[in-house]
Amino acid sequence: MSQLISAENFAKVAQFGDLFKEGLVITLLLSLLTVLFGFILAMVLAVMRLSNVCPFRFLGLTRDGHLREQGFLVALSRFNPVSFLATAYVEVFRATPMIVQLWIVYYGLFDKSVIDLPRVTIFGFIQLERFLPGVVALAMNSGAYLCEILRSGIQSIDGGQTEAARSLGLNQRQNMRFIVLPQAIKNTLPAIANEFVTIIKESSITYTVGVKDIMSAVNATKGSLYIVMEPLIVATVMYFCLTFPTSKIIAYFERRMSRGDKR
Amino acid sequence: METRDSLIQVTDLKKYYNKGTIKALDGITVDINRGDVMVVIGPSGSGKSTFLRSLNLLEEPTGGSIIFDGVDITKKKTMGPDGKMVKVDIDKHRQKMGMVFQHFNLFPHMTIMDNMTLAPIQVKHMDKAAAEEKALALLDRVGLKDRAGAYPIQLSGGQKQRIAIVRALMMEPEVMLFDEPTSALDPEMVGEVLEVMKELAQEGMTMVVVTHEMGFAREVGNRVLFMADGQLLEQGTPEEIFGRPQNPRLQDFLSKVL
Repeated sequence: MSQLISAENFAKVAQFGDLFKEGLVITLLLSLLTVLFGFILAMVLAVMRLSNVCPFRFLGLTRDGHLREQGFLVALSRFNPVSFLATAYVEVFRATPMIVQLWIVYYGLFDKSVIDLPRVTIFGFIQLERFLPGVVALAMNSGAYLCEILRSGIQSIDGGQTEAARSLGLNQRQNMRFIVLPQAIKNTLPAIANEFVTIIKESSITYTVGVKDIMSAVNATKGSLYIVMEPLIVATVMYFCLTFPTSKIIAYFERRMSRGDKR
Repeated sequence: METRDSLIQVTDLKKYYNKGTIKALDGITVDINRGDVMVVIGPSGSGKSTFLRSLNLLEEPTGGSIIFDGVDITKKKTMGPDGKMVKVDIDKHRQKMGMVFQHFNLFPHMTIMDNMTLAPIQVKHMDKAAAEEKALALLDRVGLKDRAGAYPIQLSGGQKQRIAIVRALMMEPEVMLFDEPTSALDPEMVGEVLEVMKELAQEGMTMVVVTHEMGFAREVGNRVLFMADGQLLEQGTPEEIFGRPQNPRLQDFLSKVL
């Protein structure tokens, strides 16, 4: 190998064009589905973390119905199992490597003895039994990160907003939906955009369980042609073309939502 | 105009922090009647705001009771008309108590119109067109009809507070609670807000006002409460409180602010 990168090698990579094209579609689909399910999961987790479900609340009340001031019963009355579960989930998923989570989901959760996926191939190149575990693992992972972004966004909203909403008679759910969440999402949009871009890049890890994404096309090219740099450059350009517009599109929404910020 | 029809009865209201070492409210007992314009005065940290915020349970009291429309809203449950225990729906009661805050608390991501119509539409299931018509009428009253499409940040402090008042009025409350409504305003904007409150008082709205505006207390209030250290030290008509103060703390306070 005299040259590190050469034009003729790019011509050879072109033979694998279809693999790259299919890889692009798979990476795109993988990311879109992950964003969708990850965001839904994050919303649920964030609401769970901030929920006020205290099944032992009655223990914190005195006989005539007033709040106790101290003691073990007060601590127990404030225990929120819903929030505890969500927090535990987030901490575990943020503290372990993505590849470990992916392999546990693929080899553990989607093992034939647990969840047996039908061997279906969609569009002629998406193998469901590999693609779906990829989506699930990525969504579970990004859900944990997005949850923390949303939670901090929700908590950054001035308490006066909630007080005003509640004093107008809105209940907690309506307050969340109309007052807190729109402002929280607006404030955290840059961080959410960052997470979306991260998902696109992280999705490359799914080639380790046989998902035929862009990275898998690189691998196939490398294996049969013994060239590395050229397919990697192709992959780099493709990933960039996915992530760059994503951040631009979100920047557009950011501008649109900040109408209330300008005089 | 003044009636003796009791609307809110507050009995021995207590709010303790830090395991009882801090007593923000230390046994307040007072009756608020329909049509009252009750002004609460006192030095900072005396518990005025805590008292006001307790009335619609933005602060949860640690003791005592608040009977509003015949229901003790400090309890989680109450005796229903059929003799069974039913849950106290605080959202229902809050609809009948309008609240105006020191820092306005308009919703910054919504236009003025949306700020005003959100609660009537979502909570009272009012028709959108009817709600907007009503909002325009109220905006007209405070001279801000042309700002319906603006966002809160585009308004001055005085305008924001006038909007906050009419936003609360959209729900047709039985009582309006004002938590230092002019304290965050530039001096030249205080007048326009007090003017709106004065009109409201003249229409017979029941009002509880925490304020440092002694002129307003004297001119518009029909009852004045003086609080210090979480206790209600003196109450009476404005003439009694400002003309013949009895409590030495009140005399001291008035000598500083007047």
